[in-house]
Amino acid sequence: MNDLAVEKTQSTPAITADSASGLLKMEGDSYPENSFEFFGPVMEWVREQLSDKACPLHLELRLIYLNTSSVRAMLDIFDMLEAAHGRGVDVAVVWYYDARNQRVADLAEEFKEDCTFAFEITAEEPD
Amino acid sequence: MNQFDLYGLRKHFQNQRILLCFNGPISRSLIEELGNALKKYMEAECLQADAITDVFGIYIEMTQNIRHYAARHDYGEHEAEATVVIGTDERGRYLVEAGNRVERADGERLLARVRDLAGMDAAELKAVYKQQLRAPRDEAGASGSGLGLIDMARRSSAPLEADLRDAGAGGTFFSLRAMV
Repeated sequence: MNDLAVEKTQSTPAITADSASGLLKMEGDSYPENSFEFFGPVMEWVREQLSDKACPLHLELRLIYLNTSSVRAMLDIFDMLEAAHGRGVDVAVVWYYDARNQRVADLAEEFKEDCTFAFEITAEEPD
Repeated sequence: MNQFDLYGLRKHFQNQRILLCFNGPISRSLIEELGNALKKYMEAECLQADAITDVFGIYIEMTQNIRHYAARHDYGEHEAEATVVIGTDERGRYLVEAGNRVERADGERLLARVRDLAGMDAAELKAVYKQQLRAPRDEAGASGSGLGLIDMARRSSAPLEADLRDAGAGGTFFSLRAMV
């Protein structure tokens, strides 16, 4: 299966995905005009990864600002994780945020409300 | 040389505490660059990270809504224009305002929606936000900018304000204001 390595831009996050370890990382701001186009390959990777019950998927996020269409795309990803969790697949999310920006924690918390799998929201102290 | 009265414009911007303004056809890259400048400015002013995210988020939703609206209506370059102003009030709160030409019926519908949202408290706004997030995508697209408006209302520290003006040639100009 193909892994992903997407470089960060001003309006899109850095994304790396490794199918062997099942680790998917996203970091940065996300406000592309067309989020479905941007997140398409990520969704495809998640779908592939989750199609095999033996594959875990751990999502490590350091997303900061998401426009509403990115929020919709993330919701689709979390819905896929939730369905896989229901089938017994090992899925987990850790969302790290800068302790100074409570908005990110609020956003993560609202996603977490609809998820029953392991979902950690962890503050990081700025350097 | 004085055709544009630059000094007068500058004085006007200063008196109105306008930090950034733009009028004309707005592109994706222009939205990003102006947004970047806005963010840098707020960071230099040592504004709190949450407030920066809110002002920036409102700016992005407003301008992207305008681009999406123009794209959906196959507007030519002239109609895809936006007017964007960001400034502060006398108490240092940030005001984000943007306007564009819309079809009258759409403008009326947006005004009504903004009025609905103005009557909601934080819990109600969260509930409609979550509901809209789960709405079928087609429906969300047809109703236009539904989620964006709610997102802005949630980030704004005062209810959103909207206005509709006759823009001549049968068009109307819709403008929206948020405050952080």
